[in-house]
Amino acid sequence: MAVSGLKNRIEKNLAPSLIIRLSEVDAPMRLAARAKRARGQRGSVELFFAFDDASSAYALISLAELVNQRDVDLIPRPVVDRGIPDDPAVDRKRSYAIDDAVRLFARGGTELVRRTPIDPEATAWLAQWVADAPQSAALTDFTVEAVRLLWLTDGQQPDRERFERLWSEKLGGSPPAVGDGLASNELRMARLRMYETPAAWVTGRWFFAHERVAQIGEWLDRLGWEER
Amino acid sequence: MSSETIEFFFSFRSPYSYLAAPRAFQLPENYEVDIRFRGVMPMAMRGQSVPSQKRIHTMFDTKREANRLGMPFGPVFDPIGDGAVRCLRVSELAVGQQLEKQFVLAVSRAIWAEGVDVSSDEGLRPICIAAGLDWHACLQAISDPLIEARVEKNVEDLLELGQWGVPVFRFRDQLLWGQDRIEDLERLLDAAGLRR
Repeated sequence: MAVSGLKNRIEKNLAPSLIIRLSEVDAPMRLAARAKRARGQRGSVELFFAFDDASSAYALISLAELVNQRDVDLIPRPVVDRGIPDDPAVDRKRSYAIDDAVRLFARGGTELVRRTPIDPEATAWLAQWVADAPQSAALTDFTVEAVRLLWLTDGQQPDRERFERLWSEKLGGSPPAVGDGLASNELRMARLRMYETPAAWVTGRWFFAHERVAQIGEWLDRLGWEER
Repeated sequence: MSSETIEFFFSFRSPYSYLAAPRAFQLPENYEVDIRFRGVMPMAMRGQSVPSQKRIHTMFDTKREANRLGMPFGPVFDPIGDGAVRCLRVSELAVGQQLEKQFVLAVSRAIWAEGVDVSSDEGLRPICIAAGLDWHACLQAISDPLIEARVEKNVEDLLELGQWGVPVFRFRDQLLWGQDRIEDLERLLDAAGLRR
C-alpha cells in the first residue's frame, strides 16, 4: 500500500474505529469512583455553562433535579467565552437555542418565558460572582434560582439589584470581588477539550448536558452513584 | 402521498444522521406524513472548521447513543471527500426511484458500522445493487451535473433556513436539529393530529 493510501486508511478507518473502541473502556473511572466512595467522598457533576445560554438553563435545572437523590454534588462552573473560534453560525445558534429550549422545557411541562437572546456581557457579572465564590450547596442553589429568574420568570433585562438580593438571601452578605474564577473555569473547560456550553464533566467523561441528562444519570449509576 | 411533508436534511459524513435515519424513515408508518430526503455536503467540505476535540467527542457520544438505540456503531470508514460526494449523488438518483430509504439506510450502515470505503467501486457497488439501483445508472449519476446541482440546492436551502449542522427536520415552520429531537418532532406531529 502506498504511503498516502496507508495515511488515508489510518485517518478515515483505523483511528476513528479505535476511538470508538476506547470509548467503551470505563474500568479506570469505575475504580476511581469506588476509591472516592471508600474515602467517604461524594461524586460530582461539573457543569460548564453560560447564564446567557438557554440550553444551559435547561441543563442546570435538569441536572440539579438529577443529582438531588444521589450522593453527588452539582458544581456550577460558569463561563463567558466559549464556542468554536470564528464560528460563522454563532448568532444563529444563540437564536436556535431558544427555540430548542422551548421544546426541551415543554417535555416536562415547563414554559420558557424568555424568548429573546441575552447578550453574554449582560450576565457576565453574574458569571463572575458564581465563579469567584467558594463551592457550596448554597452557591449551587443560588445558581439554579438565578437561572430560573432569568429564563423562566420573566423576559426582562437582568436586574443586578434583584440578583444581589437573591445572593444575600441564599448565601448572606454581598457577592465576591472580581477574582480569577472565570478565567480558571474557561481554562479548565479548554483543558478538558470541551468547546461549547452546556458541557458536563462526570468522572472522566463529558457530555453535552442539555441533551444527555438521562445518559449522565446512567453513567452515574454505572459509577455506583445510584439514586437513594 | 400525504398532504404534509417533513424535510430531512442529512449528511453521509454525520454519524448523528446515521442514527436518525431509521426513525426518520419510520415516521410515515406512524403519521400521515411524507419524508423528503435532502442530502447535504459535510460541514468540513463546506469550508466550516471542525475542531479535533469535536471529532473525538462525537465518536464517544455517538457510540453511547447507538448503544441506547440498539444500533451498531464501528468500525467506521469516514466518507469525507469522494465517498460523501458519490453517496450524495447516488442518493439523488435513489430519490427519483423512491429507493432513498433502502439506499440511505444501507450505505450509512456500511459507512458507520461496517467500515466500508464507499469512495471505491468495490465498496459502493454491492450496496447500490442491494438497494435495488442499477450500477451503471449510479455511475452516470455520480458524474451528472444536473444531479450535482440538486445536491447544491439542498445545501443552499439548509443555509437559507438558518441551519448549519445535520440532521435537521423541517415540519411546517418548525426546525429541529439533532437525532435526539425526533421525540419533539413526534410531539409536534401528535399535536397536529397526524398520528395514524
